[in-house]
Amino acid sequence: MRGSGRRHPRGSAARIGRCDVTLPERAEVIVVGGGIVGLAAALALAEAGAAPLLLEARSFGGAVTGGSLAAIGTHMHGLEEYAVMDEACALWRDLAARTGNPFEYNPQGQIGFLLDADGVEAGERWVADERALGADCRLVTPAELAEIEPNLTGPILGATFAPDTATVNPFLAARTVLSLARAAGASARDHAPVADLLVEAGRVAGVRMENGTEIRAEHVVLASGPWTQDVSARVGIDLPLVPRQAQCLATLRQRPGTIRRIVSAVESGGGVDSGYTQIQQAGSGQILFNTVVGLIETPEGARDRINEVPSGFVLTSIDTLSLLFPSLAGVPLLRSWVRFEAVSPDARFLAGRLPRDGLWICAGDNGSGYCRALMLGRFLAGEITGQPALAPALRAEARALYDPDRFGRAA
Amino acid sequence: MTAERLSCDVAVVGAGPAGLAAASAAATAGASVICLDAFGQPGGQYAMQPTQAGSAFAETSAVLSGQDAAQQAAAAGAKILCGAEVFWGAPVPGGFCLSVNRQGSALAVEARAVVVAAGAMERPLPFPGWTLPGVIGAGAAQRMLKTGSGALPMTGSTVLAGSGPFLLAVAQSFARAGQPLDHFVEMQRPSLTGLTGLFMRHPDRVFEAMRLGRDLRGTGATRHFGHIVTRAIGRDRVEAVEIAPLDGSGRPDMSRTTRIERVGTLAVGYGFQPVIDLTTALGAAHDFDAALGGWHCRADDDGATTIPNLWAAGETLGIGGAAPAQLSGRIAGGAAAAALGFPADDTAEPRKRVRRARAFAAGLAALFPMPRHLPLELPDDELICRCEDIRAGDIATAIAEGAHESFAVKTWTRAGMGPCQGRICGAGVAAALARAGIPSETASYNRAHLPLRPVPLPLVRDAMEAQNQMETRA
Ligand SMILES: Cc1cc2nc3c(=O)[nH]c(=O)nc-3n(C[C@H](O)[C@H](O)[C@H](O)COP(=O)(O)OP(=O)(O)OC[C@H]3O[C@@H](n4cnc5c(N)ncnc54)[C@H](O)[C@@H]3O)c2cc1C
Ligand SMILES: Cc1cc2nc3c(=O)[nH]c(=O)nc-3n(C[C@H](O)[C@H](O)[C@H](O)COP(=O)(O)OP(=O)(O)OC[C@H]3O[C@@H](n4cnc5c(N)ncnc54)[C@H](O)[C@@H]3O)c2cc1C
Repeated sequence: MRGSGRRHPRGSAARIGRCDVTLPERAEVIVVGGGIVGLAAALALAEAGAAPLLLEARSFGGAVTGGSLAAIGTHMHGLEEYAVMDEACALWRDLAARTGNPFEYNPQGQIGFLLDADGVEAGERWVADERALGADCRLVTPAELAEIEPNLTGPILGATFAPDTATVNPFLAARTVLSLARAAGASARDHAPVADLLVEAGRVAGVRMENGTEIRAEHVVLASGPWTQDVSARVGIDLPLVPRQAQCLATLRQRPGTIRRIVSAVESGGGVDSGYTQIQQAGSGQILFNTVVGLIETPEGARDRINEVPSGFVLTSIDTLSLLFPSLAGVPLLRSWVRFEAVSPDARFLAGRLPRDGLWICAGDNGSGYCRALMLGRFLAGEITGQPALAPALRAEARALYDPDRFGRAA
Repeated sequence: MTAERLSCDVAVVGAGPAGLAAASAAATAGASVICLDAFGQPGGQYAMQPTQAGSAFAETSAVLSGQDAAQQAAAAGAKILCGAEVFWGAPVPGGFCLSVNRQGSALAVEARAVVVAAGAMERPLPFPGWTLPGVIGAGAAQRMLKTGSGALPMTGSTVLAGSGPFLLAVAQSFARAGQPLDHFVEMQRPSLTGLTGLFMRHPDRVFEAMRLGRDLRGTGATRHFGHIVTRAIGRDRVEAVEIAPLDGSGRPDMSRTTRIERVGTLAVGYGFQPVIDLTTALGAAHDFDAALGGWHCRADDDGATTIPNLWAAGETLGIGGAAPAQLSGRIAGGAAAAALGFPADDTAEPRKRVRRARAFAAGLAALFPMPRHLPLELPDDELICRCEDIRAGDIATAIAEGAHESFAVKTWTRAGMGPCQGRICGAGVAAALARAGIPSETASYNRAHLPLRPVPLPLVRDAMEAQNQMETRA
């Protein structure tokens, strides 16, 4: 993310301690990674009294967290996770209410557009299944859509509508969680990359920083996004996580209300790998949009470079936006970005204890970790401190859903 | 719609002194060359062509040199396309695809090699009142004198302020345009020994320097050396300008401020920064050097960047003026063609001259060191990012809370996320970071992404379709 200057090589000394950073010698819990997942874990741990130390390699929220569309909702997220997702969404809503909403929490609702008979069938199925679980979603006709999303005038057959899906501003939400965590007793350091794990008597006993500093801790939590497996590999744990490229386009600012809801494609069950669309208007007025059809290959080592949007992605994204919102077909493009998510075999997080005492994980966001972050933070803090912050039934579900061992122990 | 397509051996981005020289050199070697520039006429900044008939600038050596250079390039066979803004560049098998907005339609240029000679842009530094209407860049003032009506549109006195040799060039433009200049405020007080030493080493530049000095005196402007503008004052537009002398430690002595009343225009210039959007987007390495205007593209003596077949010339490599720009263009254009197998030119002479020209530029830069940050306190509500309405206090808070590089300040505050993508506020953000103890070397730069400038979606689509076909073609 940063240029490497010939005269100023990226030595660890240049990155650590540049802002009067002094690292403590020990902490009760260390969280490795300052994306929204690590920040949420630090917040929950701090609230549980564990005074965690969060270490971020570069800037807080600078990786996929800062490139996120940050939709918060249960719609089309898989039925197994419905209950915990419902809690995850409630935690964001409550946080906004509790803090005076400094992060643009906006319960704007979500539309799943239906373009063909297959889509209609999938939409009907999602709505029926989610309603059976108590969700407030429904099918809407094109006539109703004219009210709900007036500029969505493309050739659609109908849509699903989940009125309570929200968005947050991904930068401000990460900033808020960071400052709440600090206020609750966490410390956090940016430009502080962890190079290795310390092991003593078979137990993870802390971390070694890239500049050689050692910090001891009872527990280490890996929340390092698509880099998590690099850290776990230091102690011989091979995690089934692979980085996947995700990208987005943004137009110049448009009039507020140009797009009112989150507009997404209805996934007929194939998951993100078979394609997705997400279109929404940010608080700044920019239209954020992306459409992926089929799998975009993630080149080897790509997550460690700054990448540019693939041309094919730009074509499908512009075509989809113009199809659905013909009135936006001529607006100027302002910006694009590429980020990397961590994908697991069953598209669910790995959250909990790793097969090494003292080592924990919270990674495998599969492209929708913003939504789950506060819930996962609480779940993990409960597991580590023994003071559960989720209701017992949810905790049990989360344990089953996110068990890091569920793919068989690879060591 | 589909994009118009052109292909060539060497594409040159920028038709300033560097770009035109590169185009000539590559075409002379036998390469097919397309030279693209966003402006309506070739010439770039230094040789900007006047648009009004009978302009006082029509016969200046700079303007004539621009016409000469364009004619030479064309005579050598280079195709010069003006009104052609390169909004993206990407590697494709066998070379690069440049996406171009050519007066509203898409053009895709496929080139085996690219020379980026994108020049420099102003480096606006915030000071109290800097966003008031009537406060403009010194470069913008010069553009108004050289093109359009040839006059500043505002009534009232004109103050030219800032630092560096370019300020003298702007004063000269006032003299030539016959436009009144009332006050000249230069932050530095370059030492006589320093000046004498420099011109002893470069006697060929004495005449030019004397003319600049004479033209400044000729404007009749009151000269304030060793002074800085501490405030632009006014309700709806600038009405007065406050200046103060700098004390021994380089800070303004606020007990000795003077007010210049009835001001119509305050033109401010604290130097230039290299245009590095295309070279950063293509992933070339960049370095920081305050004397070269900050972050600039890294290249070897031939202009080869760290990306194969990507070359850079002129001020994209660092601020240095038209002379080294022209010479470095000639070298890079020839080297780009030679790398593709065209006969190489003997560049011993231009290399020697470019070293000399750069030494002179470096000597001048040392006499007018670029301020990293203005020694002025900004009130918390001073606007830094006009596009997104971000204030000095927002930026200071973000830095205090943990945004410790340019990229982080941008994501935490949105400063630089609007239409200008940091071109206007970038220097101000870097200054704020530097004040907080994070020097620009560490704060780094924000790499450009698609598109380099806002472009209508249909045009982006057409160009990306062409790029996609080049990428996937068997
Ligand atoms: C275009 C787009 C749209 C999206 N839309 C949504 C959406 O609508 N809803 C939703 O819920 N999610 C969405 N997401 C996904 C969401 O942004 C991510 O799932 C979430 O941000 C993951 O957070 P994280 O903390 O796991 O990862 P990251 O943000 O990647 O954080 C990991 C951090 O670990 C740090 N790190 C790595 N290695 C080390 C080390 N050795 N030492 C110290 N630190 C280290 C990294 O620097 C990084 O900051 C979207 C993503 C994208 C790109
Ligand atoms: C506002 C301003 C005024 C200046 N005035 C003077 C002066 O009076 N006297 C002086 O000696 N020096 C002046 N300079 C310094 C001047 O930049 C150099 O002396 C000289 O022009 C550098 O030559 P160059 O070829 O590197 O860049 P330039 O002359 O700046 O040429 C670069 C060209 O590239 C084009 N370009 C850049 N990006 C793209 C793109 N993506 N697509 C298409 N075209 C692109 C620009 O339109 C420009 O025409 C000025 C600089 C600035 C910024």
